[in-house]
Amino acid sequence: MNAPLSKTIVIWVMVGMVLIVLSAPTIVVLGASFTSGNIIAFPPDGFSLQWYAKIAMAADLRDAFMRSLAVATICTLIAIPIGTLAGIALSKYAIRFEKTFQIYLLLPFTIPLIGSGIGLMLLFGQMGMLGQIWPIGVACCVINLPFMIWAVSASAGSLDPDLELAAANCGAPPISTFLHVTLPAVMPGVISGSLLMFILALNEFLVSLLLTDARTVTLPVQIYNSIRSIITPDLAAISVVFIACAALAITLLDRLVGLDIFLKSK
Amino acid sequence: MPASKQAYPFRWRVMDAVENMASALWPSRFSRGLPYLMLLPAVLLVLLLVIGMIQIAESSAHTLDRSTFLPSEDHTWANYSQIFSTGLYWTVLWRSLLGSAIVTALCLVFAFPYSYLMVRTSSPLLRKFLLIALFLPFFIGQVVRAYGWLIILGNQGVANGLLGLVGIEPVRLLYNYPAVLFGLVQYMLPFAVLMLAPALTAIPEELESAANSLGASWWRTFTHIVLPLAKPGLVGAGLVVLTLSLTDFAMPAILGGGSQDFIANAIYDQFFRTSDQGMGAALTLILVGIGSLAVGLVFTLFGAGTLAMGRDRK
Repeated sequence: MNAPLSKTIVIWVMVGMVLIVLSAPTIVVLGASFTSGNIIAFPPDGFSLQWYAKIAMAADLRDAFMRSLAVATICTLIAIPIGTLAGIALSKYAIRFEKTFQIYLLLPFTIPLIGSGIGLMLLFGQMGMLGQIWPIGVACCVINLPFMIWAVSASAGSLDPDLELAAANCGAPPISTFLHVTLPAVMPGVISGSLLMFILALNEFLVSLLLTDARTVTLPVQIYNSIRSIITPDLAAISVVFIACAALAITLLDRLVGLDIFLKSK
Repeated sequence: MPASKQAYPFRWRVMDAVENMASALWPSRFSRGLPYLMLLPAVLLVLLLVIGMIQIAESSAHTLDRSTFLPSEDHTWANYSQIFSTGLYWTVLWRSLLGSAIVTALCLVFAFPYSYLMVRTSSPLLRKFLLIALFLPFFIGQVVRAYGWLIILGNQGVANGLLGLVGIEPVRLLYNYPAVLFGLVQYMLPFAVLMLAPALTAIPEELESAANSLGASWWRTFTHIVLPLAKPGLVGAGLVVLTLSLTDFAMPAILGGGSQDFIANAIYDQFFRTSDQGMGAALTLILVGIGSLAVGLVFTLFGAGTLAMGRDRK
């Protein structure tokens, strides 16, 4: 379709502005991390990897990163079975009080993060579970669970129910039908949902801030604490770790299911 | 066991055992309950949040005794009445509401052409580029992005460097209201675009061509065809941006430098600076109430069903 020139100009000018605003922090952080000077500067002051060498030696940062990875792994491992089952149940079966279930399962979205975080902080505190890693993973799983359910149910909706009946008709018992017919059909949803859960938990800041203490601090919280004192280039180098993780997740998402999955209408 | 059964592959025997166990645990006459069994773990997990909210409601009914620093024994509404009579909280509340409204409007205006181009372009390469440019910041997280803005907008930062090239004195770009709003818009843009895109995909391109061939200018086609049909996406995107920016903590904290607190920051301060748990809990409940009210208001004004479609088409 050949669009009128004025429309093309308007769209491209606005898209250009959005692109600049979206990419500017990433580019600047990347650039600043390679500076050879002692202060943050962009364009960088010469090229060096000294700040990467420095963060590789910093035990507290490495520990914080490992804790973030652990949190994200726990969150994803919990979300995969729970979200997959719930997503399939909601999209495949006629459920009584379906609206109620939907509204209830959307609660993690409608309750503000600070509310969820403080509620869980009080709850975990009372149960004496603060100061450990796994409650943070559980908390990240709760607040992002709708993403997982949404991803799975979007692929389960395109599964033809006759396929499962056909499998049963050929003598496959329920579990085999589930493993060989239902599960492969919803796999794209499971993959995109779990990647989303992992990356969101890896980056989760506010709920981690509320649930962590000095021993269990995760990397985003560590960066936040350092930003408040002094901004040095080693922070830029750690931030690049997040940028690398994001790039890896996008590559995986694109290879395994294709990024276009997010453009589909229902 | 007969020899022929021995010959079955190991996997078959495992599967048989699993099937037998499943049918013993959940006989087929219960099959109508199966979907509820599948939903149960998710329901239990979300129950944690519900219990948390009850805990918050409970502690909001206790005031802090300033002499012993213990919560009071009896239940009162004192925290709530104090919030409503304190000017500071009204200022913070107004700042958050106004801020999230501005951020929502800006996000929708700028996300629309991005989403439109991404959906309509005939070049797969451009579409992939736009998707990657969208997902990269989305996946990087708020703290790192805010850190990037600190580098750009700081007094010695890139923006002031550029201004200096054209002979403008360094301006204080950080730690003010516009800086927080700017950071929030950048944070929310990917959400808005991703919520809009499916709604725009659903609009047939032929409709636009038809309007065109009937002589409508592209602006008329846009206001009379595309915009009305995109309403579900706009409502979904608007709701997500509005509620997330209203309740945000990191951007006001990092880019506002403590002078531009939103409600979430006030709540955090009550819990961790003044240690007045009751007051913080009361503020939290008010925020939850305002958030639900905003969702309900948008639903009644612009129709419901969009949230379930755009965000959670279960």
